[in-house]
Amino acid sequence: MAAGLSIPVEDGVVRRRPGLRAWLVMLPLVLWLAAFVVLPSLMLVALSFAEQKGIGGIVFSGTFRHYARVFSEPVWAKVVGTSVWYAVLCTGLCLVLGYPVAWFIGRASPRRRDILITLVMIPFWTSFLIRTYAWITILGKEGPLNAFLMAARIIPEPLSLLYTPFASVLGLVYNFLPFMILPIYASVEKLDGSLIDAAHDLGAGPLRAFARVIIPLTAPGIGAGIMLVFVPSIAMFAITTLMGGGSDPTIGEVIYKQFTSGRNQPFGAALGTILLVIFLVSLWITQKLRKSR
Amino acid sequence: MKRAQLAILAAASLVIAACDKPAAPPPPPAPPAGTSTSTSAATSDGASASSSASASSAAATPAVQTSTPAGADPASPDEAKKLRIFCWSEYIPQSVIEEFSKKTGIDVSVENFASNEEMLAKLAAGGGPYDIIQPSEYVVEALVRENALEKIDHAAIPNLKNIAPEFLNLPFDPGNAHTVPYMAGTVGIVVNTEVVKDEITGFKDLFQEKNKGNIVALDDAREMVTWALLAQGLPVNDLSDENLAKAKALLSNWIPLVKVFDSDSPKTSLLNGDVAMGVVWGGEGALLLIADKKFRWILPAEGTHLFIDSLAIPKGAKHPGNAMAFMNYILDPEVSKKLSEEFPYLNPNTAARALLAPEALANPASFPTTEQIQSMQMFKDIGERASVVDELVTTIKAQ
Repeated sequence: MAAGLSIPVEDGVVRRRPGLRAWLVMLPLVLWLAAFVVLPSLMLVALSFAEQKGIGGIVFSGTFRHYARVFSEPVWAKVVGTSVWYAVLCTGLCLVLGYPVAWFIGRASPRRRDILITLVMIPFWTSFLIRTYAWITILGKEGPLNAFLMAARIIPEPLSLLYTPFASVLGLVYNFLPFMILPIYASVEKLDGSLIDAAHDLGAGPLRAFARVIIPLTAPGIGAGIMLVFVPSIAMFAITTLMGGGSDPTIGEVIYKQFTSGRNQPFGAALGTILLVIFLVSLWITQKLRKSR
Repeated sequence: MKRAQLAILAAASLVIAACDKPAAPPPPPAPPAGTSTSTSAATSDGASASSSASASSAAATPAVQTSTPAGADPASPDEAKKLRIFCWSEYIPQSVIEEFSKKTGIDVSVENFASNEEMLAKLAAGGGPYDIIQPSEYVVEALVRENALEKIDHAAIPNLKNIAPEFLNLPFDPGNAHTVPYMAGTVGIVVNTEVVKDEITGFKDLFQEKNKGNIVALDDAREMVTWALLAQGLPVNDLSDENLAKAKALLSNWIPLVKVFDSDSPKTSLLNGDVAMGVVWGGEGALLLIADKKFRWILPAEGTHLFIDSLAIPKGAKHPGNAMAFMNYILDPEVSKKLSEEFPYLNPNTAARALLAPEALANPASFPTTEQIQSMQMFKDIGERASVVDELVTTIKAQ
């Protein structure tokens, strides 16, 4: 019955097949996607069924050997597990830290909004590498943070902050936080304040209004933010190697090494393909969740 | 509404910026060409096209070159005044390249790689075509075996006479038919004597439980396996299953002690005081000794290995004459002295060493004694065993 009701609603939305002109307008996008997303992905998948010969040549052989290797040794699953764990941690922290910031910016006066959004963006005008090296300097044993904490007599001797899992997660959160703030901000900004007033008028307390009205209404932003943070942070290895010291191998680093010192590009491609499947599945799940609401 | 769109746009631009991360893994033939500088990204999509073009010219160039040695002359009329160098990052000083350009009028473009294998992958994918590459000894061996290097004309490189005989005519390139030595070096231990009071003579003293969390090591699977082999008196090039099992037993204890894995700049964590000891490249060790007297260099008692990075001309190079002119220029004593001053590795150039300051020559991390050099082993190409070595180290790290 519920399904029967929902169909006419969907039909109410104008759903025409795009005409030729629409396709022409879309053409650059379609070409761009084909050339830079679809084609490289297909090449990656094809490479995962090949063999590396000699100093760098690739011979296509249709082998499943590399996939068999991924599943025969626990180490590769463990590496994926570590990466997913870091990504989940990073996404969770970004959500907890980013939501209030996005809310605050979204509800501020238009003038302040622009300033605040610019402030969120400013660090990203410098190179990622420079920002990461700045953190290395800040967190170092003889760095300013330790110097400050010791001068303030908070700690008796310098803390080991750098080259720890803490540093890895800090670096990830720092780098991905804007990806969470911006989409949530976009949702908050569109949020109709009268709906919150209505919730209050109908007797909802602040918690209830937040859980039943505000969260559902900003859910698209939250979903987009989660995807924008979770997916890239799984494969992000520059931070975990530079700030984490590289003692916990992550999937991005392992794939990189297959293409370089490991001299096994097809195996790296197999790992990359599996990562791609993980991304597609998580995308599919979020899509499902969104539809089922 | 407009603002919301702006925010999404901003987010999208961030995504794009993130895709441009410098350390991103270079997907083999795919467009975003990761680490290297601007020009390489442009070539990747047209790689197949340019490789076929270079293949046809490859057939033509050596013939020209061998029949007319004059083709090696930088002023050769049939060669455009261009040179494409594909070299290690932080290895050839920019000033040296600029001066070469100024002197010869040759327009030089430089692209960098961070590992030998990265270079090989780009060569195999048809990158370039490069005129000069800078492979290490075991890679030269593989490239010579696969007939992937042009022969060089010694008449065009008279400065080769400046190179010490122990760096010439080595097994990886008999008679230096394809390469000239650029720099050599070794791997050793650096200790911060203000923190470490124990006597450390080799790998076994370094990798001790009490030093846990205080060690930096090169992030290189083959290096680590080599140290474990050396510590057991095993030859570094015999990577049989039996030897690897022995190496693994030792590394299972060693690797968990390491705090930082860094092969790009292992000196950073030592300088910042985050670790007090480690295994680093000789050149990095030399820089640490120059930076602070508290650092001490130790050549491991169990032995170490010698690496030699060479300059070579890959098959398909469009400007082999200019490439040889560059080789000759690099081997000039005054120029070679500048290389040593900026990157204090083991300079094989005797004439350049004569020009170096006495304290630079006395730096033990740059210049081991002749007896020490003779005791060092050299890497051979291990081909597909590299994959096994990589898995061994990854497995221990992930535990």
